[in-house]
Amino acid sequence: MDRIGVEMMNHSEALQQMAAERYLLDELTPDAREAFEEHLFDCSECALDLRAGAVFVEAAKTLLQLPELAGAAVPSPSRPHKIKRQWWLFWLRPAFATPAFASLLLVLGYQNLVTYPRLRAAASQPRLIPWAQLRGAMRGGAPLVITADREHGVALPVDLPSQPNEGAYASYSIDLHDPQGKLVFGSVVAAPSESDSSPQRLGLVIPGAMLRNGVYTLAVSGVAPNGERTVIDQYAFEVHLID
Amino acid sequence: MQFYSFSADYVQSLCAGDRQAQEHFAAYFTQLLQLKLRSRLQSPQAIEDVRQETFARVFSALRKEGGLRQPERLGAFVNQICNHVLFEHYHSAGPVESLDVEGRPEPVAEGADAADVVAARQIQFKVHAILLKLAPRDRSLLKAVFLDERNRDEVCREFGVDRDYLRVLLHRAKQEFKTEYIKRAADRIGLGESA
Repeated sequence: MDRIGVEMMNHSEALQQMAAERYLLDELTPDAREAFEEHLFDCSECALDLRAGAVFVEAAKTLLQLPELAGAAVPSPSRPHKIKRQWWLFWLRPAFATPAFASLLLVLGYQNLVTYPRLRAAASQPRLIPWAQLRGAMRGGAPLVITADREHGVALPVDLPSQPNEGAYASYSIDLHDPQGKLVFGSVVAAPSESDSSPQRLGLVIPGAMLRNGVYTLAVSGVAPNGERTVIDQYAFEVHLID
Repeated sequence: MQFYSFSADYVQSLCAGDRQAQEHFAAYFTQLLQLKLRSRLQSPQAIEDVRQETFARVFSALRKEGGLRQPERLGAFVNQICNHVLFEHYHSAGPVESLDVEGRPEPVAEGADAADVVAARQIQFKVHAILLKLAPRDRSLLKAVFLDERNRDEVCREFGVDRDYLRVLLHRAKQEFKTEYIKRAADRIGLGESA
């Protein structure tokens, strides 16, 4: 009965090779499949085994769609198991850490040898700062162009006007906006005493480190005793930074 | 476990038109032929055509003098006839020529009755219980293979298992289910009884 060229599988071989499982998983080669089928139709035990497997698989196909039998998300263990590292520890890897620490040493050296002595000198010694005369932006016209460098920054005179009426303002507010319109400085100074009728002039020093190219706006507002603000004057100046 | 074995008496009963023997024959070999044919034929209609033609030729051959010399190998004989029919089906543009010339009604498995419905529900219940006992990961594995019909190698890679793991997983589930299945199948086709 055996077909020519197809050697029939015996029962031991079928069990040993898990032929029924391979058959259901469609893993058998064409020859092996035929060999198993030759045996299968002749062996009620293997026939029963295969039929049970097939019924199980068919039922499982339906049931595995049910929510309570939905399995876990497919893992990705195809990659070899390895210790999961926190992403933020990447800087501890030698390839990154070595040049990073070298750069850090350079920065520290520059700060100790150049930056800090210069800052100490700036804080403890007199220095000259370019003084720019502001023009009121509210009066129109092109903004004043100020050429500055990062070492010295720039100094601006801010005039606090005399009060139009006695006790009109309890204080003045000075607000500086950078070219992006962001408030970078704000300060409130007390209004001059009633006996002092002359305008008061203040100096606003803007460090070079915070300067950037573009048009700055400086607003001077009077703050009434009830907290109400009134813009008294507004200045615009354009910074041109030079190295 | 005592399994069914074919005999000369069984074959003689079939040829004599014994209803019980013919029903058993139809139920037993329909399942096996469907399993065999589903990997070779695309459409359910083609599977049914080949199955019916196989049955017709088997009965025709059994009724001939010396048609089956080894009655205990009836299963292998059915398989061989099926292979011939399948071969002809592959090489034929139209339907295969039937040998069922006598027009005798073919014994077929009876349609689903109340008992079948109950049995099917009990089978589903058992499979559900088995699946529920599996680890979620194993259920996902079976789903990927059988329901989603994904590439086996790809699935094994994703789950970090090999083909042996998949086979053993299926084997264990199948073995647990088999007890229930035997109980149902024995009622249907008289497994365990002598022919």
